Amino acid sequence: MLEGHISKAFDGDLAALHIRVLEMGGLVLDQVRQAAAAYSDWDSRISQLVCDREAQVLRYAGSIYDDQVALIARRNPVASDLRAIIALAKVGAELDRAGAEARKIARTVLQQSGRPGRGTSSDARHLANLAITLLRLALEALDRLDAEEAEQVIDRDQDLDAEYAAGLRRLLTRAMENPAQLEVTVEAAFTLKSLERVGDHACNIAGQISAMAVHLSRTSRVP
Amino acid sequence: MNESSPSIAPTGPAPAVVAGMNLRPAARAAGPSHLEGTPIGQTIGTVTVVDPVFSCRDVNVHYGAKHAIKNVSLDVGKRQVLAMIGPSGCGKSTFLRCLNRMNDTIAGARVTGQILLDGQDIHDPQRDVVQLRARVGMVFQKPNPFPKSIYDNVAFGPRLHGLVRSRSDLDELVCTSLQRAGLWDEVKDRLTQSGTGLSGGQQQRLCIARTIAVKPHVILMDEPCSALDPIATARIEDLIDELKESFAIAIVTHSMQQAARVSQRTAYFHMGSLVEVGETDRIFTNPRHRLTEDYITGRFG
Repeated sequence: MLEGHISKAFDGDLAALHIRVLEMGGLVLDQVRQAAAAYSDWDSRISQLVCDREAQVLRYAGSIYDDQVALIARRNPVASDLRAIIALAKVGAELDRAGAEARKIARTVLQQSGRPGRGTSSDARHLANLAITLLRLALEALDRLDAEEAEQVIDRDQDLDAEYAAGLRRLLTRAMENPAQLEVTVEAAFTLKSLERVGDHACNIAGQISAMAVHLSRTSRVP
Repeated sequence: MNESSPSIAPTGPAPAVVAGMNLRPAARAAGPSHLEGTPIGQTIGTVTVVDPVFSCRDVNVHYGAKHAIKNVSLDVGKRQVLAMIGPSGCGKSTFLRCLNRMNDTIAGARVTGQILLDGQDIHDPQRDVVQLRARVGMVFQKPNPFPKSIYDNVAFGPRLHGLVRSRSDLDELVCTSLQRAGLWDEVKDRLTQSGTGLSGGQQQRLCIARTIAVKPHVILMDEPCSALDPIATARIEDLIDELKESFAIAIVTHSMQQAARVSQRTAYFHMGSLVEVGETDRIFTNPRHRLTEDYITGRFG
């Protein structure tokens, strides 16, 4: 849907914007993956890497915003083109927030306030795998502009929510068993919440793809 | 509490893109295939309005053997701007010229169908075409002031149609028309100078003043800003916005942005057919026909 204009330069600009958002998505996906691994392994070195790369995520977000403003100013896009640009802007914002969640997790490790227990680490790893899978699927759906894949992401977010609720319950049980570990428990709850939020951001990205697809199918149904 | 061999991927440089992603899938490279297979013929959207000035039904225009307008039905509403857009040769100007019977002046032109102005057929043999054109004013692509003074350009119509009884009435009408056209302050001290000595934008506003001086019901505009610079264009667009409070306006434009800025309804023509019509906001955000979508997004034209 992004190509086929009489102006090939416009096609090129739109494709470049799309690719730039996907690049940012790749970086954010890796940030989440590294942050979750750092939390599970309680690895300060990886956490530092995640925090250092946060600037790179912000640079992507800034340049994507600049590209979008320039594209709108130069090309005056309408209809599906305008929707695509706005949708890509929203995807960029969701990725920015997902990156911020990764940074929060990494900072928890860097603060070294207390390492979580084996069970909590296991819960975090499981939740991270679900969240990373959702984000990866959402980015693949964005790459292919595939509404069906996007719908699957939205459906699968329920699994993540259920795992988050179960993990939180187990965490509270452990906290009651060992009140001395309250600070560690609170930090762990924030980490689980961050991973659940990454899944929500993946879901929101998928929602943007679905919205674009709904418009396209409505247009194509007209006799 | 160490974990052995975490299942989360190990540290490494961030990938440029997500692994395995195909950045240029065949579906995208093929262009807007999702919209293909949409036939022309039936108009998408509501062609009628609650309070029409013009009500056109099944209008056909032939220029000799050429079928220029095909079964177009469309209303022009009171106190609103209707924009007509479409690629060159799609029939939008031809349709506009039907509304004040300008096509009558073209040899070989044949117009069929019903066009009602305030409920009366404009093709009624009893109808005076000069009176019709007084009620349906027209502004053309190129400013065409008469080679007369600014005053006389505006006074010409009211004199011709006997709209004023005295010189003071005429003075007042000329003044009011120039004010409504946003030109009064620029020309009030040189009303006796030739209209052709004004700038392009001023000449076009003079033509608009000349049009509204005869108190029309409708103003037709055929690409009124195509020969003007952006500043003059902005002034004309502002003027259109003000005039719509008093007149129905139908404008043909090649500028999609202009149609989006000035109109409340937009009609998209393609190869003589009215493909889609609707509220301008909808047409430019949610067009329902593939051809409309392709044209306004610059995929053909």
